[in-house]
Amino acid sequence: MTKSEHAAIDRYVNMPELLARVEDDRELLAELLALFIKDFPKLRDVLHHAVHADVPSQVEEAAHALKGMLANLSIQRGAELAANIEAAARAGDAREIQLAMDAFNAEETGLLPAVAAFMGGSEP
Amino acid sequence: MKILIADDDAVSLRLLEKTLERAGYEVTAVSHGRKAAEELCRPDGPRLALLDWMMPQLDGPGVCRTVRRKRSQSHVYLVLLTSKSSKEDIVEGLESGADDYLTKPFDLGELKARLRTGMRILELEDNLLEAREDMRYKATHDSLTSLLNRGTILELLAGELNRKRRDKSSVSIALGDLDHFKLVNDTYGHIMGDEVLREVGRRLLGSVRSYDFVGRYGGEEFLVVLNNCVAEKSVDRVEEIRKAIGSSPVRTTHGRIPITMSLGVAVSSPSDTRPLEEILCEVDGALYAAKSAGRNCCRLGNVCRE
Repeated sequence: MTKSEHAAIDRYVNMPELLARVEDDRELLAELLALFIKDFPKLRDVLHHAVHADVPSQVEEAAHALKGMLANLSIQRGAELAANIEAAARAGDAREIQLAMDAFNAEETGLLPAVAAFMGGSEP
Repeated sequence: MKILIADDDAVSLRLLEKTLERAGYEVTAVSHGRKAAEELCRPDGPRLALLDWMMPQLDGPGVCRTVRRKRSQSHVYLVLLTSKSSKEDIVEGLESGADDYLTKPFDLGELKARLRTGMRILELEDNLLEAREDMRYKATHDSLTSLLNRGTILELLAGELNRKRRDKSSVSIALGDLDHFKLVNDTYGHIMGDEVLREVGRRLLGSVRSYDFVGRYGGEEFLVVLNNCVAEKSVDRVEEIRKAIGSSPVRTTHGRIPITMSLGVAVSSPSDTRPLEEILCEVDGALYAAKSAGRNCCRLGNVCRE
């Protein structure tokens, strides 16, 4: 694990908080991050499809699910941005949904590579 | 303590599962609401649950409503765990039947403390149910012999008389009285008399079928309700009971005390529409006849003694 890989994940994940939540269980941490790598792209795709299909209720549902997953893993900025999409969808505001989606997409671009790099390295 | 967790997010589900296992819970993890409701509605299902709000098939509040509607025996402590956190959401969640509400991401200390609160409430409920059951038992049973008490046996007899009319069956009713019981009390004392009564209760219960009823009618009088027992068989059945009572002396701490019982019997056939009091009057007359015939015998009644 290089310093830059640490720095990469620290940009997205509040690691002290997450370690406290898993009671410092590194095996569990690895298991949860592996589940995240597997499930996050599926949820993200569901969200994109809902936005393209212009169905606010489905956008709200998908954003809500993403928000929960990200929050559980202390990916705080990601969870906030997902919450913004959820709120915009609940309000039925297409322009706000798009703006929130843009912010979310920009944030999540580096998220999976950072988590994957962290998983490939040693303990934090 | 068993706990059910329901969440369609694999990360959240695994995190909760591991956290709760570490805290000593026996965890059942499911990923959709319908399965959660099914598990919680089982009679031996978990009585503590953490439910995500948004789930496929049935959401968290839907699970709460289903459980509250279907499971009435004992309370299930339901906690909604969700990233919905507005006041309206909290109200809606609690109105659906949830006992508590936690927002994601959970704080470990708070989660454990809230679950301990749930366990305390369930424990309190268990204690109340136990106390209620204890009171119900005391209200329906004789404290000395543990047989049904007079009020309860008469209530059951009234029910059986109604049932036999519907089912077109017969009920035999026997009233037994220990012979010379006053002498037992006078000779050995009331404590020995109580020992004798307890043993008589055991012998009576041992000599009837599981669907018959035995109750203490008065001091040394016992009422036996023989369900589905026709007139032709009633005397034989009651003779068996009489023999069981007098089969051997009762062993007490002061030695062996011989006892016998006299019994009167009445049979209520399907067409019999007499009220309970009249039938009891007939049984009483039959018991009197058994006593007059020299005791330690049984007599079938057909007349009402004035």
